[in-house]
Amino acid sequence: MDASRGHMSFCSTRQDHHQSSHTSQVPERPGAQLNIRSLLEMGFSETQADEMHEGALKSRGKHIPSILTVLLLLGLNPASILKIMQKCPEMYSLKGAEIQQRIDNLRKLGLVEGSLQRVISHYPKVMVLPIKRVNMVSRLLKEKCHVTVQQVTDILRDSPEVLEEDLARLEYKFQYAYFRMGVRQAEMVKAKMFRLTLSMLRCRHCFLERRGLYQTPDKKGQTLILNPLLKDFICVSEETYLTQVAMATAEEFHVFCKLIEREQEEEFSNEEQELDDDDDDDDDYDEKHWKTGYKRDKK
Amino acid sequence: MAAYICTRFCINKFKDSVRFIPRRYRVKSKWAQTRPKFPSTTIALQNFDATYSIQLGNLWPSVRVAMLSEQKYGALINNFSSTASVITSELQAEGCIDFIGSHQHSKDSMPLHKDSAEVDVSKLATQEPTISPDIKCLVFPQGDISRFKPSRQDSSGLLGYYLLDAASVLPVLALDLQLGHAVLDLCAAPGGKTLALLQTHTVSFLLANDSSGSRTARLCKTLQSYMPRENLEENKIQISSFDGCKLGQIEEKRFDRVLVDVPCTTDRHSVMVEDNNMFNRSRTKERQRLPLLQIQLLMAGIHAARPGGDIVYSTCSLSQLQNECVVQQAICQAQEMGISVQVQDLGWLTRCFSNTFYFAPQLSVGELVLPHLCANFGPIYMCKLRRSN
Ligand SMILES: C[S@@+](CC[C@H](N)C(=O)[O-])C[C@H]1O[C@@H](n2cnc3c(N)ncnc32)[C@H](O)[C@@H]1O
Repeated sequence: MDASRGHMSFCSTRQDHHQSSHTSQVPERPGAQLNIRSLLEMGFSETQADEMHEGALKSRGKHIPSILTVLLLLGLNPASILKIMQKCPEMYSLKGAEIQQRIDNLRKLGLVEGSLQRVISHYPKVMVLPIKRVNMVSRLLKEKCHVTVQQVTDILRDSPEVLEEDLARLEYKFQYAYFRMGVRQAEMVKAKMFRLTLSMLRCRHCFLERRGLYQTPDKKGQTLILNPLLKDFICVSEETYLTQVAMATAEEFHVFCKLIEREQEEEFSNEEQELDDDDDDDDDYDEKHWKTGYKRDKK
Repeated sequence: MAAYICTRFCINKFKDSVRFIPRRYRVKSKWAQTRPKFPSTTIALQNFDATYSIQLGNLWPSVRVAMLSEQKYGALINNFSSTASVITSELQAEGCIDFIGSHQHSKDSMPLHKDSAEVDVSKLATQEPTISPDIKCLVFPQGDISRFKPSRQDSSGLLGYYLLDAASVLPVLALDLQLGHAVLDLCAAPGGKTLALLQTHTVSFLLANDSSGSRTARLCKTLQSYMPRENLEENKIQISSFDGCKLGQIEEKRFDRVLVDVPCTTDRHSVMVEDNNMFNRSRTKERQRLPLLQIQLLMAGIHAARPGGDIVYSTCSLSQLQNECVVQQAICQAQEMGISVQVQDLGWLTRCFSNTFYFAPQLSVGELVLPHLCANFGPIYMCKLRRSN
């Protein structure tokens, strides 16, 4: 079994397919054809090569050699490359050149050697996202969230998950932190806040606020109590959050999250109704929304 | 998701941000003009932060977050309705528990706080009041945030249950009603506790009073929606609209049981709802006079109780000034008038229901249900007094 697989052309199915359908797709350079032996030559161990081969077959990858070349050139070792491909099998269906362009784009966005490799290993999906998407998110961060170029880089490095987030939701999350919590961009970046989902951010913040441990700063940025630093209650495990900051039990917090979730759903559906009902608005609008969210009169 | 359309929250503080919502009318909207700079709810919360953080110490944050989050209700089953048992099983199928009926077999479920788990067995044996089996109040279990549907009518038009703060049944249970009792409900509207005490079928005569005319009207309506007409005849139930402070003399020594459920700062309402808020600037005087009014009402209750009769004083506030201090003041005043009243232990009640409610530890007099996210009932304070002469 092993032997026969060893001799099988790695991309044989593709070749058959090409011959029969006469697609106009440009084939990869013949020298880049890959079989188990070339995988071994690239430094993959036998088992690694087998696994890679299997994954390629499963996902019908057509340009594996060029992909692997790009990743190897990036300085990733075979073991991490295999892990990346297994974490994100969509990678198999890309082209080496595409990946190279995306890597170049990330460099342009400021990710330096080391960070770049770490982001790709930790979050290979970054390679699957079109450049357009990545740039859209980075533009939104710069233009709508008024984050500096360096901060965009930091966000991409620490929380590449933002790249996948719905843009409106991402902007909303920023606005929540900025207006509702009174946090500046630098602190958000430091706390790796963009990694958190909006609902988790809201749960952790509102829980502290209703316990009397967090206040939205006034116009001068002042509060009556000393707010904990964002990074100290966002960037920590739930256990640390509960025992060090909120001083509460997990039971309380879990019930609270359920309640907040429901409050939020109902608030939005109410607002949509209001929007339909009357269309008058006011400059204070967002302020009113943030400040009185939960104190809304219940009729 | 439509809900996240960011245009609803467009930034107007950054100069180059776009406003997406077309503003057809650039006039100030109604709410913006009526919105007060300092909402009463904020004033209430600041007030509570100052007093309760001292009074409750490190329990306050837990109580605070609970009061600022959705409260839990209980469904008081109306056993005058023909559908009572059907509705009970329906609710039980949804996961509800009758916390009153189930307290005996609930030893395996977790008490909400540790110290209540150690029950002093020797104390249990001595003549404890019995808990009326006729009052059924269903609640969703600890941590379950499900809500009750509105109550439905049976074939004769009576509603199947009344939704209330489940903890407000406790003062009624504390009354320990016995067959043939004449009962005074001094501040009865809108009538939740009145309904609860009528469920026991022990009351021979009830006077339900509330000084507010509009609220007594509501009380009447409530009773009519829950009680068959024959149970509302005048020789059984009377509804009046007197100033409760004066009822003491009018009805001197007449009642076996008196419930004094006084007006208070209604803490939960005060931090949540702007409407009719005690902390509104215009009501400062009224609010400051509350403890005085409460003492007068409790004194009236004591006067109206016959010797040997019991009085239960209750509030829905955490405030010591409105709770323990009122009781202690009233005891002193009564003594000065030659009336001797003794505080009755309610430990039996808290022991029974420590799985359902979070009771405050160690009050000087009375018991207090603290709001807690896992059991978001209360606040309800109650203290039971016995008039001996
Ligand atoms: C806490 S509420 C009573 C709730 C009621 N026991 C229930 O369970 O539905 C207090 C009531 O006291 C009434 N009240 C206020 N001042 C009063 C007075 N001087 N005499 C009698 N009732 C009074 C108010 O109108 C209000 O309805």
